[in-house]
Amino acid sequence: METLLVAIGAGLAVGLPALATGWAQSKIGSAGAASLAEKPELTSTIIIMLAIPETMVILGFVVAILILR
Amino acid sequence: MIVEMCRVRIMGERDALPHVIESLQDIGLLHLATPPQSDALMTYKLDERQERHRRYLRRAIQEVDYCVEELHIGQTQPQAEYAKCTLSDLSRWACLARRVSREVGRLKSTTAELEEERALILKYRSFLSGFEAVLAGDIKWSTAAVYTVMLQGEGADPVGKVREGLETAIGDRFELRSRVLPSGGTALLLIAPASTATEVERVLAEARVEDIPVPVSFGAVSLAPAAPRMLGRLSEIPAELAKVAEDRAELTRRYGSELLRARACIHDRLDELEAQPLSGVTRRAFVVEGWLPVAQRAEFNERLGDACGEALMVSERSEEEWEDDEAPVVLHNPRVFRPFEAVGSLLPLPRYGTIDPTPYVALFFPLFFGIMLGDVGYGIVFAALSYGLMRRSRHGSTLRQIALVGIACAVLSTFFGVLFGEFFGDLGHRWFDMPVVLFDRAEALQSMLIIAIGIGYVHILLGLGLGVRVARHHRRQAIGRGAMAVCVGLVPVTLLSMLRVIPAGVFVPSWVALGISVGILITAEGLIGLIELLSALGNVLSYARLMAIGTASVMLATVANEMSTLVPVAFLGTLIAVLFHGVNFILGLFAPTIHALRLHYVEFFGKFYSSGGKPYRPFAHWGSSYQPTA
Repeated sequence: METLLVAIGAGLAVGLPALATGWAQSKIGSAGAASLAEKPELTSTIIIMLAIPETMVILGFVVAILILR
Repeated sequence: MIVEMCRVRIMGERDALPHVIESLQDIGLLHLATPPQSDALMTYKLDERQERHRRYLRRAIQEVDYCVEELHIGQTQPQAEYAKCTLSDLSRWACLARRVSREVGRLKSTTAELEEERALILKYRSFLSGFEAVLAGDIKWSTAAVYTVMLQGEGADPVGKVREGLETAIGDRFELRSRVLPSGGTALLLIAPASTATEVERVLAEARVEDIPVPVSFGAVSLAPAAPRMLGRLSEIPAELAKVAEDRAELTRRYGSELLRARACIHDRLDELEAQPLSGVTRRAFVVEGWLPVAQRAEFNERLGDACGEALMVSERSEEEWEDDEAPVVLHNPRVFRPFEAVGSLLPLPRYGTIDPTPYVALFFPLFFGIMLGDVGYGIVFAALSYGLMRRSRHGSTLRQIALVGIACAVLSTFFGVLFGEFFGDLGHRWFDMPVVLFDRAEALQSMLIIAIGIGYVHILLGLGLGVRVARHHRRQAIGRGAMAVCVGLVPVTLLSMLRVIPAGVFVPSWVALGISVGILITAEGLIGLIELLSALGNVLSYARLMAIGTASVMLATVANEMSTLVPVAFLGTLIAVLFHGVNFILGLFAPTIHALRLHYVEFFGKFYSSGGKPYRPFAHWGSSYQPTA
């Protein structure tokens, strides 16, 4: 039972931030694509913006590892 | 590093100004700046004759640029070398540009008309060829009218609705044929008695049909008489387009090199005229100011002296007389770091007086990339691709810089691949029992996490240290940034001593030092400093991505190898493995690049980078580029 709960906890630790990251990136990506059509010089800014929400899932992954250990 | 600049002032007799400006353009080192305003000094204004000449050249250069761009001359012929030109050259080139631009414009519009005609005929080709005989016979009928229209289908069976409408209006006295076009919509051919024209046109108007257009070259005729000739045009148009292309090539051959020379000389003359109003004048004297690299000050003085004699007075303005923000910026780094300027070039230039991050990027970018990819196989493939790109790119081009950065990243990836014992994931271990030198990334996640966070600490502390250096002229800001650096450094010491990883005796002193540092930080920067401290500590955790991306990469590679063993046919298994490794390799290039960039731009640069530098653009001959020297 404990193993099951640990596995579920680790899964949630990665899964929920992954959903949040995906949702944030969808918003940033669509807005970024629209901006790029008008201002191609914003490429680097948009790449950075797009990579920012990934911190959530990366930290979720780290937490999942700590749960599994 | 940012090249050290000095601001020089050149003074002389007013009559000598045009010659001095010409000499400055020949020397090509001075970035012109407006002299400070004063009651005695007026801004130089072009007289009426010069202004008229400037406008004339501006019109001429627009036509020359148009010709060069439209004929793609710059791409096919070498740039013109600088050569002196006379006034008669300038007017001859202006006439030439007018003549060639008119011809280029005519060829351009002919091409556009032919392309449009071809597209139109191709769109209706199935309709035209299907009903060619009927359309050709149109003119022989005296009691019938032919309608050729386009129906944009809305709802189910739009043609059926038109048919129903016609039956209601004129009974069965019509013939309706339709053809669905590949590009969408339906073309209709309707033949009805001429006496029913009013009813038919009402039905068609209600169905919102559009007339099928006829190409402009056929004049104002309806489709029926034009249709037979339109299909024949399809075979004629390519020959006409080829003739236009030949005419363009002939223009390029005849006038290409002359136009390039004209472009260089007219731009030069215009720059020279437009540079004069940047000087200040009195009734008898002029003042020109500008920036140049300190290392080239002696060379500049010597060349200006040779060109203009001793009548000029050249002096350097002291640093107290100008602000850092005014000075233009040019970067000059050792050869080995130079390709990494491309990484920083995605951001605006750093301000003068701050720090050029290129050397730090050159150190950490390949390191981060290598840790994340960390595979001998992928590293070798990446190195080969980067080497190929380097061979194909021009020396000094952005592509060459990217290729060199790629090679550095590939070398580090291979190095870390050896440390982690990875060759296309665990393939090295399976095939030739490749040893793990440091640890297995797939297993030792915690060790990898600790290393990633440790690297993050070093990187962030370096960034904070550089921030202190940038703020050295602003005491309060420098103290605040220094206190933050100490706090960030002390937090792990305090935590580790609390957890007894390091001697417990360190705990109290480090705790006290941390408290004092936080106090100084709040005093210097207020509560916002505390928030920034928490943000900096959060930034350190962000380096966990070095571990996360790497682990994801090695797991995917292992899955690729596993998948291949599950298939009984060896060839299929190999194919699957190659496919999976290909996908993983592409991901392995993109993800580490983006995340290494992000760690630099957000976490590292955020601590010290101050953008907003103006690029150094020396007043020089058109097309010449400045190469900084040490």
